[in-house]
Formats: sequence, structure tokens, C-alpha cells
Amino acid sequence: MIQGASDRPGAWWKDLTFWMLAPATLFILLVFVYPFVDGLILSFNPMNGGYFANYENFFSDPRLWQTIGTTMKLALPATLINVGVAIPVAYRLRNKSPYQKLATTIITIPLTLGTVLIAQGMLSYFGPNGWFSQLVQWLNIWDGPVRLTHNYWGVLISLVISGFPFVFLLILSYITGIDPVLSRAAATLGANPFRQFRHIVFPLLLPGLAMSFALSFVQAFSVFPSAILLGAPSGPTRVISIAAYEAAFENYDYSLASAIAMIMGIVQLVVVALVLGFRRLSYRGPVTGGKG
Amino acid sequence: MKNHFDNLSLRQVTRRFGGGPGAGKKGSAPVLAALDGLSLDVAKGEFIALLGPSGCGKSTALNCIAGLLALSEGQILLDDRRIDLLPPEERGFGMVFQNYALFPHMTVEKNIGFGLLMRGLPEREIAQRVAKAIDLVQLGAHTQKLPGQMSGGQQQRVAIARAIVIEPPLILMDEPLSNLDAKLRLEMRTEIRRIHGELGRTTLYVTHDQDEALSLADRIVVMKDGVAQQIGTPQMVYSQPQNLAVARFMGYRNELLLDVVEQRDGVGQLKGPGISISGTVRGDLGSKAVAAFRPDDCSIVPNDVSPANALTARVDAVEYYGRETLFMLRTLDNVPLFVRTQGSATIGESLTISIPRERILIYPPEQAK
Repeated sequence: MIQGASDRPGAWWKDLTFWMLAPATLFILLVFVYPFVDGLILSFNPMNGGYFANYENFFSDPRLWQTIGTTMKLALPATLINVGVAIPVAYRLRNKSPYQKLATTIITIPLTLGTVLIAQGMLSYFGPNGWFSQLVQWLNIWDGPVRLTHNYWGVLISLVISGFPFVFLLILSYITGIDPVLSRAAATLGANPFRQFRHIVFPLLLPGLAMSFALSFVQAFSVFPSAILLGAPSGPTRVISIAAYEAAFENYDYSLASAIAMIMGIVQLVVVALVLGFRRLSYRGPVTGGKG
Repeated sequence: MKNHFDNLSLRQVTRRFGGGPGAGKKGSAPVLAALDGLSLDVAKGEFIALLGPSGCGKSTALNCIAGLLALSEGQILLDDRRIDLLPPEERGFGMVFQNYALFPHMTVEKNIGFGLLMRGLPEREIAQRVAKAIDLVQLGAHTQKLPGQMSGGQQQRVAIARAIVIEPPLILMDEPLSNLDAKLRLEMRTEIRRIHGELGRTTLYVTHDQDEALSLADRIVVMKDGVAQQIGTPQMVYSQPQNLAVARFMGYRNELLLDVVEQRDGVGQLKGPGISISGTVRGDLGSKAVAAFRPDDCSIVPNDVSPANALTARVDAVEYYGRETLFMLRTLDNVPLFVRTQGSATIGESLTISIPRERILIYPPEQAK
């Protein structure tokens, strides 16, 4: 404990706690704090104009500021789908069984695949002549080729495939942490399985859901490779990271790119703050039924 | 869901664990039954205690009745209506769990009102009945607290109130006092008895504490290895244990394997080195038998007197308890013996111990395993 360290007599450099914290602190300073501060300063030193020229530029150019909305339109639905689908799946798999292990393994496999590999697979599966399109036409569900790549849907599907296992594992660990005897107690009091979930499991899960939502959202908001490989990077899926990439590596305007990165960070921070603020409203204590 | 019943009947209720699906089928390894053929009839208003050591199947029995465990075999009938296939929420029994299982995110009031909310009662009636239940368990000052902010005894009261507020025909309690300290346990025991008396509800109470069972119950079911060993009133179970397993659980701590000299009219005469005692026979005896008696039923007599029912033993250790002293002895056969009485002795000394004939029970030797 850091508090305990100050109670000890002697100079700070004799304190073991300090030396144990030092490597991690140094790492964060070098790899996160320094580049961040550097980028922040760089963003206020534009190639032309005053300190705030980059930010003025961003919010006056529709091709730039509209990327916030474009990214939101992908990241929010993807996160909602991931969390929304993971809840029932994780709830169903909460009890230990051989079946649970198998299902969990299958669901988790996409985590081990890179975004590029997923994109490659999706291009051949969901492409205009891919199996999915052929299947849909053979079943007469839809006329003409189904376009699920090189547009909005391709990116959204990719975000779900790569993000879902992560959210599922998080929520599964939250759900299995809830004492199952609480649901049994609710059952003896007359609650059917749905109401056991609605009144007992869900409220206790809420803080975990907020956490999962925040993490999944941040991941989805910084989408880049799949937006290019599976989307329409010049139009409907021109996400904010593409704008930053173009500024940095096509126009060599590192200052503007830094400003865009800062704005991206701020948007993520606002959403996370909102979600975690909402989390404060829910019960966050222990999730067991009493003294065991 | 009915609020009243006349008779709850368990018929050969059996539950096997483990093995997963397919267990117990031909060819697979046999699965041990946690509860094996329990049959019991409970009348309205009775207080029944299921008593036994851990792993004896008493909690399994309770969970089967609550509907939290499916039966492997047998039936449960409530006034001749089969209920063992109903899910717990349709049985409507109140249950008090060992670790209380209070909903940690709900206040005391919400916890207690939960069952009524599930029954779709109007808000005003819920508030009234919750207030009444809170009065009954004397928690008036804590209605808005969360369970985590309360002591174990208070949580226990909430758990009881939550189970009785739904006015269930049957209240199930699973070792409700085992997590409390000794003093609180005695208080809550009185409390449970008082609440049972006031409401007159049928109660099934699981415990491993014989004092709890004896003091609370109208009838006791003594269990061991999933099998009910004896069902009877506290007096019957305490003074006439059916077999050695029940006797052991009722404090018959001393067991001596002796030769049978004579057996007549339910009274047996046994002999061993330095031992000559007679007692009540329970079961069919062969040439050998086990005499069982309580440490408290022994007394030390002067060595020059030779009473009828006595044995000689050497003192191994002495523990002083104030009102009484516990003597650890060894018979001439080196069998350990416990005597709890007044008096004093030195280690190594030889004592004559006398036990009243009516306090000695004699069982067949094969029960002594």
C-alpha cells in the first residue's frame, strides 16, 4: 500500500515501495505521458495560424468534424450490440459445465485473430459473390447481390466479431461473481427465472455492464484497419482515425493530426465519463448474500 | 399457492449427485445417494428438526422440498397434491438460507417486501405487511439500511422476516444460526421459537446442533449418510436412541465392546476385564455387544465399595471445568472412557466408575463401525 509507505521513517529512496513502483511509473511516463504531452503541445503549434488554428480548422471543415458522427454511428451500435448480445449469452453460460467450456472457447476464438485476418475472411464470406450472398439468394430472401463489404455494414460486422468475445468474457466474469444463492432465494420468494434476472442479477450486474460498455466503446471508437479494409474509407466509414492518418501521412501535417487525435481522445473521455457517472448511481457493493 | 395445508408428505425422497447426465445408468459407476429414501409426514403447525453431521443429507432434503434440487426418486405431496415437479417459485415456501442470501442491493424494507412484490400485491398492502414483519423481528430502526451495513444477527432477522412475510404454508430453515456467535445463537433460538409460536406456521429446521434441535423441535429426524436413522420427539431421541449412530449424536460418547453374559426382558448383562454392567438392549445381540453411555451419567465411587453396575479404569488426564471435571480414563483393555462428574483424581490412579442401569444402552456390535 502506498499509504503505508509514508508511515515508515527514513528517506524516500530507502523505501522499497518506491522502487517497486518505479519501473511501472517510468514506463507510463515514457510510453504514455511523454507522447501525450508532446502531441498536445504539437497540436497548439499549427503549420499556419494561431494556437487554436488546428481546432478551428477541424470544426469548420465538414470533412473533418463529420468524422466524429461517422465514428459514433459505428462505435455506438457496435458496442450496444456487443453488450446486448453478451448479457443473455453469458447469463446462459454462467453455470459450470463441459458445455460452458466448449461454448466459451468457440466464442473467444475471434480474440486470437487479428483485425486484418478477420477482414480477409469477411471479404470472401460476405463479399458480393461470397457464400453468404449466395446462400441468401438461394433461399430467396433477397433479390440481387447482398453488399456487406466495402460499406458501413462491413465495418459494423467486423467490430462486432472482434469486440464481442472481449465483452462476453468481461460480462461472464461479472455474472459468475454474483452469488447464485441470491437467485435461488428469489425463486423461493416467487420470482420466475425472468424476474430473478430482472430484479436480482441485472441490478448487481449493472456496474460491470457500464465498465464493459466503456471499454468496448473506446475500442470501437478507435477503429482503423477494418474501416479501410472492409468499409468505404472515402465516404460512409471515413472515421476519425482515418482523418488523423490522412493528416499525418498524406499531408504531413503532424500538428493537425495531433489535434485530431486530441479531439478523438476527448470524445472517448466524455462518453466514458458519462457511462461511469451513470454507474455511480447504481449499487456497487458486494454481490454475495451475506456473511458466509 | 395455498397458505394452509393439513399434511406434507415425503415419500421415499431420494437424491443422487454427481456423474452428470447418464449417471446411474446401467454400466456406469454407481452414484452415492446424498439422500436415500426419506419418508416423513408433517402435520400443520409442527416444528420438525432435521439433525445430523455435515454431509448427512439434511440440507439436500430441505433443498428438495424447496424445489431447488430435483428429486432422483420419490414424491412430495402437499395434501395429496404432488408438488415435487413444481419449480420453487410455484411452491411458495419461505426459506431462510445459511448465509442469509439477502439481496445486497436492496434495503431491509425492499428485501422483506420482495416476495409480496412478486405476488403482485398492491403497494399499500406490501407496506403494511412489511411493517408488521419488521415489528415481529424487532428491526424497526433499520428499515432503510442495506444488508452490508448490518450485523450478522440483524441480517438473520431480515432473512427470517423475508421468509415469513409471504405467509408461507411451510418455512424451511437451513442452519440459520450457524454463522452467529454463541450468545446471539441462544437469543435467536428463543426468537425463532417465539415466532413459530406466534404464527403457528409449520417449520422444517436443518441443524447439526443437537441442543438446537432438542430445544426447538416438536419432532426430530436424525440423519446419517443420507438415511433417516430415527424420527421421534426430542425426549424419545434423547433417551431412547434407535441405534448407535443416533446415540453417538445424542452424546453417548463412551462405547465398550463387551461379552454378553445374559439377555432377558430387554435387559442385558455384559462383562469384560474389570467391567460388569447391565443395561437396556436395543437390537438383536450375539455373543458380543456394545454398551454406550454418556460421560455425564457416570459417577466415581470409593474403591472399597463395589456397586452392581461398575467398572474399573485408570486415569489418563483430568480437565477442570469449574462446576464439573472431565476425567479421561482407560479401561483395563485400554479403551478410552470419558467421565464428567464432580470430584478429583490424580493421573495414573485407579477409579471405580458406576453408571445407573437405565442410563446404559446396549447395541449389536456391527453398529459400532
